[in-house]
Formats: sequence, structure tokens, C-alpha cells
Amino acid sequence: MDEPFHLSLTASLAKRTGRVLHFVWSGWAGLAALCLLAAAWQAGHEAYGPFILTSPLETLREIRTLAADPDAWSIATMTLQRAVTGFALMTAVGVVLGVTAGYSSATLRIAAPLITVLLGVPPIAWIVLSMIWFGPSDATVRTVILVTALPVVFLGAAHGIATRDRGLDRMAQAFGAGAVRRFLTVGIRQTTTTLFPALALALGTAFKVAVMAELLANAGGIGGALADARINLDIAQALAWVLIAVILLLIVEYTLVHPVKGEIDRWRHAAQPWGVKR
Amino acid sequence: MTVLALNGIGHAYLGRSVLDDVDLRVAPGEIVALVGPSGCGKSTLVHIAAGLIEPRAGRIERDYLRHAMIFQDPCLMPWATAAGNIEYVLKLARVPRRQRTRRISEVAAQVALDGQDLAKYPVELSGGMKQRVAIARSLAVRPDFIYFDEPFTALDVALRRRMQDLVISTCVCGRLSGLFITHDLHEAARIAHRIAVLDTRGHGILGERRLTDEPQSRDDAAVFRWVQSALADDPLFRHIHDVDERQVA
Repeated sequence: MDEPFHLSLTASLAKRTGRVLHFVWSGWAGLAALCLLAAAWQAGHEAYGPFILTSPLETLREIRTLAADPDAWSIATMTLQRAVTGFALMTAVGVVLGVTAGYSSATLRIAAPLITVLLGVPPIAWIVLSMIWFGPSDATVRTVILVTALPVVFLGAAHGIATRDRGLDRMAQAFGAGAVRRFLTVGIRQTTTTLFPALALALGTAFKVAVMAELLANAGGIGGALADARINLDIAQALAWVLIAVILLLIVEYTLVHPVKGEIDRWRHAAQPWGVKR
Repeated sequence: MTVLALNGIGHAYLGRSVLDDVDLRVAPGEIVALVGPSGCGKSTLVHIAAGLIEPRAGRIERDYLRHAMIFQDPCLMPWATAAGNIEYVLKLARVPRRQRTRRISEVAAQVALDGQDLAKYPVELSGGMKQRVAIARSLAVRPDFIYFDEPFTALDVALRRRMQDLVISTCVCGRLSGLFITHDLHEAARIAHRIAVLDTRGHGILGERRLTDEPQSRDDAAVFRWVQSALADDPLFRHIHDVDERQVA
């Protein structure tokens, strides 16, 4: 043996730390994109003036002011809590239903038109219905997130299972794996290709829909704060709250979805040609 | 005495019969090659024998302790390293964690995989190396019977020969029993103790021929002569290269 194939704990930790640092380093591309956006924003501000579009720096100053206010923290936490719990609920339901449909082509065929119907109904319609059913509460926001983001996750999970490599199923069966073991060790791993992009999309939808539902249902949170800013025609505060919602989304995505995806899909890194890796 | 007996096996896909009344026996320590043209039902038969497909008719008697299988596609999990792929079947076989590393090292040495190869993901390995991992995975569970489902069909000639040598050195010399599916008569003549021919439409075994000496002691000239003679003079092998593309589809 030239090299041990099972890493020691220290070597394993070092490798994992290396992956985390590599992930952090890869953030420069995202940072560059954000700087470009800020430049376009500044240009818009200079063209239309502060009443239409406040400058990025002024918006950041407004965020700093909000950060010093404990009420603003509770507003942001309320939206964060609603979006994340709604996302978690929708992920659980979507994955269970999608995996079930993926294993049963008849179910997938029956579900396909229903998904089209769900996708066709505008989120605003669900907000109105949820307001009638649940009033201005957490349940309204979570229900709207569930219904609007569910089709994407459902399809991601269903297609992951339906397009799985059946040769791996046969291999596992030939070596004695039962149906449940095959699903847990071979089936579910193959959904990641389609499921993770769906989850990233669904997470963005969850935050957007949460803010929209809060605004229209008068249910507090960032949506409620945006409604107040609109009434006061306070552009700087409105943009600050929008930026806060985006920052919360990025924090959740890059601390929850991407690390899990990176850990599960680390073999894909090995498949990338040199140069694409950095 | 037999380790595998297939009695009156029949199967159909969507009402179309692909196998009918197939009888086949494998003795302990014997490698039987099953040959036949593409689409005659060889793979279906080996999948039935291995318990992957439930036959529509017939009875299967297995008198071995543990089997393993090598497929045409190596069927390696892309998210696991070569060592991880071998370890997966050891977990399925309930081999204790402490013994797994030793077992992996042993089988890797048997198929000439080094530590660096074992740490690689399948996407980093060539076709031949992947098939080596697949062979190592099969040997790791210490089977007494191995099913080979056209394992080297997708490999080039040189690589196929190396893999055949590997099977001879590990399985044949290890006195394992096996059922080797192939449409290559030369491959069958190199590896097997006995060659059975499946009917073009899967209607039973047409006949079988026993090769004289042990596979590891046959030289290339003897194998070549046997294949030439079988194809030219033996009516049993007359149709093994027939292909009906419609039936295959």
C-alpha cells in the first residue's frame, strides 16, 4: 500500500478544514458580483436622485441604524423564523411526496397536472385564501410558503428518484440489500443532483413569499416594516429592509444549504477539470 | 453434487416469452460459461439465478453460502471512493468495522489496486480500474459463488484479456464456483470449465461442451484452436453470433 485509504481523525479534520477554507475563498466571485450590483445601484441613484433610489451607502447607514434598534432585530427574527420553518415544513412534505412519486410512475403521471395547477395559481391568491383561513398569523405565511415552493421540491425529489441509476439498485440487491436499505443507501443519495438546485430555489421563494405574505396579511415581520416604510415614503428604510431580507436569505443559504450540498457532493469536485475548481 | 441448479426456468416481459424451460447446473469449484447471441435472455437468466428477478416459472436451488456479482457496468457508487464502494458490500455482509480495512487491503492487493487508487472516486478511475474495483468488491465478501453478467464486454481487447487473467487467478485458482455470461466464445473458452449454449430465443439450453484441462493451464494456442474448431465443426455453436436487432430492442 502506498498510501492509507482511510484517513486518521486529524487528517480528516484537516481535509474538512481545507474544504471549508476553499469554500470561503470561492466567495470572492460572489463578492465581485455584489460589487457590480452596488455599482449599478449607485449609477441608478445618481441618475434618478435619492427620492426614487437612495444610494447604497445611505442604505447601509440605515441598516446600521436599524441594527442598533432591538425592535428591528425582533422584526427580522420573526420573518427569519417564518421563512425557515415554512421552508423546513415544505422540504419535508415535498421530499416525502416527491420520493414516493419517483418510485411510482403512475403517481408521478397523476401528480404532474396537479403540479401544473399549483404552479399556475399566483402566490397572491394563496395569500388571500390563507388570510381568510388563518388570519394574520405565522400559519398564513407558512401555508403560502408550503403551497408555492412545494412543486419545485416535489419535482426535484421525484425526478431524482425516477432518473436514478437502476444498476446501483441491482448491485445493492445482488449483495443482499433489502428495499429499505437500498432506498437509504443508494436511492436517496441519487436525488441530490436535482433536489439541491430545487431546494436553493425554494429557499429563495420562501423568503420572497414570507415578506409578501407579511406585507399583504399585515402580519408584522419585514413585510410589515416594508408596509410602514411605504406609508411614510421612506425609501432608505424600505431598501434597508429589502437588503436585510436578502442578507438573511444569503446567511441561511450559505450556512445551511451549501455546506450540506458541499459535503454530500464532494465527489463532484473530483470530477471537475483543473481550473474550474478555483 | 451441484451448488446451483436451475430447473425449468421460464420468464416473460410484457407477455413476450424470453426464457422457457431452461435447465442448468453448476458443480462446486466449476465455472460454467453461458453463451448465446445478443438478446437470447442470458442476462435475464443470470439475474433470475442471482435472485434479482422472480422467474415466471421454474425452481432455483442454491447450495452455496454467499454469492457476489460482477456486472457489465461496474455499478460503482459515484459518491464513494473505491475503498468506500468495497466497504459498502462489507457493511451489507455485516463484516465488523475492525475487519473491513484489512479485508479491503487484501482484495485490493489481489486485483493490484494500491492505496492511492482506493482513495479515488470512480470518476477519477479508468474503465479497467473501475472493473478491478468491481472485482475486488465481489471478492471482499468472500463468496463461494460469483455471477458474471458480461463483465468485460465494454472493455477493449487488451484490457479484457487482463481482466480475464484476473478472474482466472482469483476465482478459478481460488476454487470458486461461478456462472459466466458472455457472447464471446473465446472468453468462455479461456475462463470456463464448461460452456453451455442458450437457444437463440431462450427456449432451453441447446447443449454444452466440457473443456479438457483447467483454465489456468490452457495456453493461447490451445484456446484459439478449440474456438476455431468449435465454430467451424460443432453445430452447437452455429448460431451464437446471430443477432436479431429487433429482438434485442
